Amino acid sequence: MNSPTPQFVPSRLGIYEPIHQIGIWGENFKSNGNPNTSTSVIVEVDNKLENESETTSHEMLTASNNYEQEASKPIDKIQRRLAQNREAARKSRLRKKAYVQQLENSRLKLIQLEQELQRARQQGLYMGGVLEGSHIGFSGTVNSGIAAFEMEYGRWVDVQHRQICELRTALNAHISDIELRILVESGIGHYFELFRMKSTVAKADVFYVISGVWKTSAERFFSWIGGFRPSELLKVLVPQLDPLTEQQILEVCNLKQSCQQAEDALSQGMEKLQETVSSTVAGGPVDEVSYIPQVATAMEKLEALVSFVNQADHLRQETLQQMSRILTTRQAARGLLALGEYFHRLRALSTLWATRPPEPSLP
Amino acid sequence: MQEAIPYKSYSTTRATAVGSRSPLLNFLGGGGGVVANGSESSIRKLVEENAVVVFGRRGCCMCHVVMRLLLGHGANPVVCEVEEGKEEAAIGELSRIGGGGGDGGGGGGIQLPAVFVGGKMFGGLDRVMSTHISGELVPVLKDAGALWL
Repeated sequence: MNSPTPQFVPSRLGIYEPIHQIGIWGENFKSNGNPNTSTSVIVEVDNKLENESETTSHEMLTASNNYEQEASKPIDKIQRRLAQNREAARKSRLRKKAYVQQLENSRLKLIQLEQELQRARQQGLYMGGVLEGSHIGFSGTVNSGIAAFEMEYGRWVDVQHRQICELRTALNAHISDIELRILVESGIGHYFELFRMKSTVAKADVFYVISGVWKTSAERFFSWIGGFRPSELLKVLVPQLDPLTEQQILEVCNLKQSCQQAEDALSQGMEKLQETVSSTVAGGPVDEVSYIPQVATAMEKLEALVSFVNQADHLRQETLQQMSRILTTRQAARGLLALGEYFHRLRALSTLWATRPPEPSLP
Repeated sequence: MQEAIPYKSYSTTRATAVGSRSPLLNFLGGGGGVVANGSESSIRKLVEENAVVVFGRRGCCMCHVVMRLLLGHGANPVVCEVEEGKEEAAIGELSRIGGGGGDGGGGGGIQLPAVFVGGKMFGGLDRVMSTHISGELVPVLKDAGALWL
């Protein structure tokens, strides 16, 4: 056996071709069959071990078997080293790329968080007022219901944004109607998810939902019973849906009318509720200190507010469903895109408004 | 006028106070006539003789919403007020009379306000709203003879 030359260190061999080495080791062991023979192999290698440092016996054993083969190909060794260097360099470049990508994402996330923080600060002013007077004894449960909703809603908005991007890509790419239908169904289902979330938090604190503090300021401007007006929704959607057939135009017209009637009915119901609560709170003698009976009765009446929020969301849901019945898949996809984009722009408007430079003060 | 629609009249029935006292007391016709002490049989008669009947708590705002929707279509619903504290008994009576025509909430879960159309239970505000939007409400009202046009 040749003695090892400096550049051919057996341990390196073991690292780069372990599977090959193990195979040979196994073969040797099997082919021998005779336990005595194998023991002698181990004994031989053990002598070698004393000469080497920082190598595992396994590697030594496997390396020694290939010694004769490799010692006769020094050119191959150099080639392999160059390949390893190229590989290492490539991996290093990939790692750097991944790191930069991560930095970019973190930067975007930071901007997003700053925006959210600013929004939360503004809302904090409202929230302080909302929570002050109501459910003083149950502030723990009220807060947790609201906190849970805030978190879920944040996620809802993120998913909404992603869905809008998917719809836009899909419409430009002219995918099949079947695939588009799936996107449309999940888009509509996503709105239904929001209505479910709102129903849950309305039970915890209906004033929270109606006040609309969970939405951005521009969205709040258009708020009607804790959400968007279905008739407004139609005004936003319809121009984006051209061309519509005669039949569709008729059906959309009917839907607009039904929506308006339903909104009016609910609005009148809300007015009646206001009158009822107002007269209840105002009732009773004012020269007496105790107002508990009036306030207690008013609280009972205010329970109806939860029904109003649920009915308003029910109306929104039915309007969306009716629209999806009237429209073709492609039209429905364009409609959902238009609607999602509209709310996205309202949110952007709110952010811009909040960060606009202050009015210069007069000298 | 009565000849045009022979088996559905709009006259408010004057109920006599016979039989067990029902939690469904006063009922106000479309014209504002008030009658007291309806018994179950008279309530059944009310439902059968009137195209649209709305049962609700007194001063209920949701009842107001249902009324607005139905009046908007040109229907002239009869309102029957449920006595305070007797809602459960009233709902029990109504489900007996109702006969399960329409999704009244799945398994006897009738909610107030409850709407009866053409002598059968139609549903609550939920059903009125969804049929109103989908356009199904008008044909149903027409079939029951609630609409003149």
